[in-house]
Amino acid sequence: MSNTWKNPDMARRIARRNAAERRFKALGLGAIVLSLLFLAVLLFIMLKNGLGGLDWAFLSGSDATDASAAGVWGAAKGSFLTMVVTLVLSFPMGVLAAIYLEEFAPRNRWVDWVEVSINNLAAVPSIIFGLLGLAVFINTLGMARSSPLVGGLTLALMTMPVIVISGRNAIKAVPPSIRTAALGVGASPVQVVFHHVLPLALPGILTGTIIGMARALGETAPLLMIGMRAFVATPASGINDPSSVLPMQIFLWSDEIDRGFVQNTSAAIIVLLVFLLAMNGLAIYLRNKFETRW
Amino acid sequence: MPEAKLPDSKLTARNVDVFYGDKKAIDDVSIDIGNGVVTAFIGPSGCGKSTFLRTLNRMNDTIAGARVTGQILLDGEDIYDRDMDPVALRARVGMVFQKPNPFPKSIYENVAYGPRIHGLAQAKPEMDAIVEKALTRAGLWNEVKDRLTDAGTALSGGQQQRLCIARAVAVSPEVILMDEPCSALDPIATARIEELIEDLKDRYAIVIVTHSMQQAARVSQRTAFFHLGKMVEYGDTDQIFTNPREERTKDYITGRYG
Repeated sequence: MSNTWKNPDMARRIARRNAAERRFKALGLGAIVLSLLFLAVLLFIMLKNGLGGLDWAFLSGSDATDASAAGVWGAAKGSFLTMVVTLVLSFPMGVLAAIYLEEFAPRNRWVDWVEVSINNLAAVPSIIFGLLGLAVFINTLGMARSSPLVGGLTLALMTMPVIVISGRNAIKAVPPSIRTAALGVGASPVQVVFHHVLPLALPGILTGTIIGMARALGETAPLLMIGMRAFVATPASGINDPSSVLPMQIFLWSDEIDRGFVQNTSAAIIVLLVFLLAMNGLAIYLRNKFETRW
Repeated sequence: MPEAKLPDSKLTARNVDVFYGDKKAIDDVSIDIGNGVVTAFIGPSGCGKSTFLRTLNRMNDTIAGARVTGQILLDGEDIYDRDMDPVALRARVGMVFQKPNPFPKSIYENVAYGPRIHGLAQAKPEMDAIVEKALTRAGLWNEVKDRLTDAGTALSGGQQQRLCIARAVAVSPEVILMDEPCSALDPIATARIEELIEDLKDRYAIVIVTHSMQQAARVSQRTAFFHLGKMVEYGDTDQIFTNPREERTKDYITGRYG
């Protein structure tokens, strides 16, 4: 038996293994480059088509039948109001539900059933939420059609499960030793949660919330159902006024035949992307600010 | 069943059983734990010594499916009584855990947290005094007095454990439970904690669970030997280690199993 590590068989095996490593790295790099390439092309086309249309009149105006007079302010304001309604409803409700399920709920069949339902709710197609919003908020409760209030309520239903799920994961990631430490000095279970667990879980909860909000911001289908596709020429002055939202405005303009609306569509997409980037930036900022290392 | 009555007992357990679901983890344990002495619980892994320790401040309440029967009295009061508030009980019966678990906050906040939630200090100077006293008792004051605002988690393992002891001491407990407090520490940090236990024992009833028989022999005055969920023998530490009555105790301390 010659030296195991010096015979040619072993050298070949090692060479094969190194080649496999190189192939895998190349494949991974390729996947990233390809997806970034698509994004870059998309951004390039949008900027090329839309940048010319981005002026103060466009940013401050509202929808109009004439492409050169149409602006994005009405839709942006509608999106903003809708997001405020969504956030105010879904964040406290989602966080409280996550805390209850993770820290206080007894382990039984009912709670299992609630958990499964919430997980399924996060996967329900958004158009279904639109139908629900139409049936409950508008037809049954008689709220104003096309309003940011109904839009926000509908999107809150959609966003809440996302916040519950990310909140539960963030709460689960807090080491149990922190809970026992607080209980050990005589903190009550609610004090344990609000003094220790929640502050440590907050970065994760905020990240999940903003991801959920960003999804809601880009959502069009459920808002179609509740009438937010109407032509609205004046910005909403409150959450009960008829309004449009940015993705809906993009959808409406993309249907127009007039050349001027092609530029408007691209310009509105740029505005929406800036909106989204700002929200994601905020998520990263908040996460870093509240992050505690232990 | 060995009788374990003491004249000046702080904690009295009678016929305590603990169940996890259907599994019986503690079987009919009766023991008196004295004031001003260190009581050690020894025994092989899984013998129930930590489980029993956790019944003494109702930490088992937080485990789903755990159930305690029998009676445990703190100064004659039944701690599992309907009127006993487990939150107040855990302030009176403090606990130090196996792995040092300071809060991810400053050294000062770690110690001040308990007194604050219990309203033990009205103003800042009063709180400062409580923090200083607790850190001094835990033998940590001189090492940290110039950096109270530093993170508690930035201290060394041994210092963190002493911080946890200071945190427990700060709420003026009557009993301190220690669940293998040195198992994550090096020998020098361990020696430091053992000295500290010696210093603290006059003021509190201390119960320490330990894997190390040498440690039990060094720090405790009374020792209980647990095996398979039962308390096999309880007595003066000297007697347990030099002249055990039970065959199983003798086998364990001479290293035949464990």
